[in-house]
Amino acid sequence: MGDFGGPDLISDLPLSIVESILIQLPIRDAVRTSILSSKWRYKWNSITRLVIDEKCVPSCNDRTVVEKSLVKFINQLLFLHQGPIHKFQITNSYLQSCPEIDQWVLFLSRNDIKELVLELGEGEWFRIPSCLFNCKKLTRLELFRCELDPPLTFKGFMCLKSLILHQVLISPDAIESLISCCPLLESLSLSYFDSLALTIRAPNLRYLYLEGEFRDLCLEDTPLLVDISVAMYMTDDIAEHFEQSSNCNFFKFLGGVPNLERLVGHIYFTKYLSIGNDPGQLPLTYSNLETIELYQVSFEDMKEILVVLRLITSSPNLKELQISQGSSNIPTATDAPDLDFWRKECPSDCTLKKLKLVKLTDMCGVPHEMEFIKYLLGSSPVLETMSIMPCMYVMESQLKMLIELVKFRRASAQAEIIFVRD
Amino acid sequence: MSEAAMAVVKPEMKSYIWVQTVDGSIQQVEEEVAMFCPMICREILQTGMGSSKNYAISLPQRVNPAIFGLILDYCRFHQVPGRSNKERKTFDEKFIRMDTKKLCELTSAADSLQLKPLVDLTSRALARIIEGKTPEEIRETFHLPDDLTEEEKLEPLRNITDDPRIRLLNRLYARKRKELKERQKLKNVEVEEERVDERSVDDLLSFINGVDGDTKGARTNKNKKKNRRRKDNSRDPSSINANENLNKGLSALPPVCHNGAVDNVLGASTSNHSRNLTAVNFSPKLEFVDGDVDDDLDPAMKEELDREVEDFARRLNSDWPERMQEILSLGQERRLIPISMNGNGSTVAIVIGVEVIVIRSL
Repeated sequence: MGDFGGPDLISDLPLSIVESILIQLPIRDAVRTSILSSKWRYKWNSITRLVIDEKCVPSCNDRTVVEKSLVKFINQLLFLHQGPIHKFQITNSYLQSCPEIDQWVLFLSRNDIKELVLELGEGEWFRIPSCLFNCKKLTRLELFRCELDPPLTFKGFMCLKSLILHQVLISPDAIESLISCCPLLESLSLSYFDSLALTIRAPNLRYLYLEGEFRDLCLEDTPLLVDISVAMYMTDDIAEHFEQSSNCNFFKFLGGVPNLERLVGHIYFTKYLSIGNDPGQLPLTYSNLETIELYQVSFEDMKEILVVLRLITSSPNLKELQISQGSSNIPTATDAPDLDFWRKECPSDCTLKKLKLVKLTDMCGVPHEMEFIKYLLGSSPVLETMSIMPCMYVMESQLKMLIELVKFRRASAQAEIIFVRD
Repeated sequence: MSEAAMAVVKPEMKSYIWVQTVDGSIQQVEEEVAMFCPMICREILQTGMGSSKNYAISLPQRVNPAIFGLILDYCRFHQVPGRSNKERKTFDEKFIRMDTKKLCELTSAADSLQLKPLVDLTSRALARIIEGKTPEEIRETFHLPDDLTEEEKLEPLRNITDDPRIRLLNRLYARKRKELKERQKLKNVEVEEERVDERSVDDLLSFINGVDGDTKGARTNKNKKKNRRRKDNSRDPSSINANENLNKGLSALPPVCHNGAVDNVLGASTSNHSRNLTAVNFSPKLEFVDGDVDDDLDPAMKEELDREVEDFARRLNSDWPERMQEILSLGQERRLIPISMNGNGSTVAIVIGVEVIVIRSL
């Protein structure tokens, strides 16, 4: 036994390189380097990133066997490991809630953990042990399907920059204070929250992703936000709550984000913004806002249309606009809509100076839609492309739509209209 | 040629800096390219070196002239602003297509010049090379010495999996080496064969029982007696035959199978010896074949043994499902019914016994 002709190529590389190689290997391969040679015996032990993914133990049909060997693997892994662990990630659907998790988190909390990701399988949710809140150096925390209950003594994660809670059970008070207790928080993602009335206070927040049944959403002290994406679901409960609400949701949510660059709203988001008193002309300008995407906008609800108009007329640098029509019932042509609305609400002097790309989907050709398209075409001098995808249920009105479309004046000579039929 | 003359000779208005590699050769490099290496950049800014031939910047030891050329290629491409990510990626992919030795040198050199993006690129490439390879292949690729004993190699595995199979294999290795040593001694001193065998058996037994703890201690004596009897039996030509059949049958078994299943197949394929084999305690069976092997061991066979054990270890190191497939397909080749698997500590032990027999009987 011995070398295969030639000096050892890799063993004597500086430790930093060896570590850099090891952390780019799947954890299984990294651990296995310990049987290469005596020099490699303990090299992997000090790697600072441990990622337990789906491939780290061989899968087989029996889930409990896999789970057992996973638990054993992680136990031994941590036991053999030496020194700080900066990143620890479990993304494995075989692993379910188990008592060992508490020990792992405790161990990590004593080893300088900075990034922690726990995504177990879809079984029983696990409860995050309170020692997690002692991880003072955390910069990134991602938790999936678990229960979170910050202790009373918790003072906040002073270094946390990214927080992702996906299907996490936490009391409304606790989530609000958790967010506001992380002064450096830059990115926040919350999903699958039920009936939560949430006020976010995060002075350094730049990216915000929300998904769930929110009763109320309020952004306070979030001046640096550049990217917002919200998917709002509605239950009867919440709908009722909406009806009773009187103050202006638009202002509550978008009143304090002057630096916004991108806004994406799904499902009931536009509806949510439309509730409450009409703000009239907005007192603020979104001078950085370049992309607006609003899905399932109801063009039968004047208040929703107004939200869209308020947004685009207050965004002088808007480049890209995507709107999808989301009225569930096919409109009846006999409606006599108040088309005066457009004369009143569209300031003729306001042009969309930078708008280049418009994408409209699920359009069914109701009068307000057509008026909206007319407005966009007539006020966008640099428009390059407008693509319109009609709603699949209204075959017969497509021709009518086209005839009307052809008639509209276009402010941009370059504007290309693409009518997509599939 | 003076510096001034050099400056005149260069047609472009680019500024150049002087660097010296470890072999003593001095060369000029475009400043903007060289500045891409943080180590050189710092040297220029902090010490003012590199401005003339006499004040050339000495590059770190790990940067030899050939590798420095490569690094300059890398810097020359990436220091140009405005390249798209796709362009950079394509360049990088082509750039790292080189033999492993060069790649290692390049990683090391990039590290010593603090050129982090190149270190990341090359170490990622090295990780790609290692990923999914067997330890043997990795050793061969990087010329690593194979200087760990088999037990040492298994230690981390045992730690990770705490698998009874591994424990048993461990013992097998220990025993094998001991045997080989004994035989070596035997050859050298020409001791009487029979006696050495006896000792070997006892040693092995005590080793196995000792390692395993108290649970099997009580059975030791009984086993020993059995073993002696067995060994006598095995000298009988007819029973050797039976063993051989048995071995053929067993070697086709999957490593993990249900107790009952083992019984069935054995019953179907061979003599009544097989029933004994299903007993949980595996050690008598090991001894059972030992006799055959010990009697006539030649170097070629020793080699074969080594190869077999290594092969076994390799398969152990690889994924169990793969291994299962391997053995199942082996079974099919020999027209034996594949057997449904069922993880069970005790049956595993038998199977290890089976493996051992297979190895011994070759």
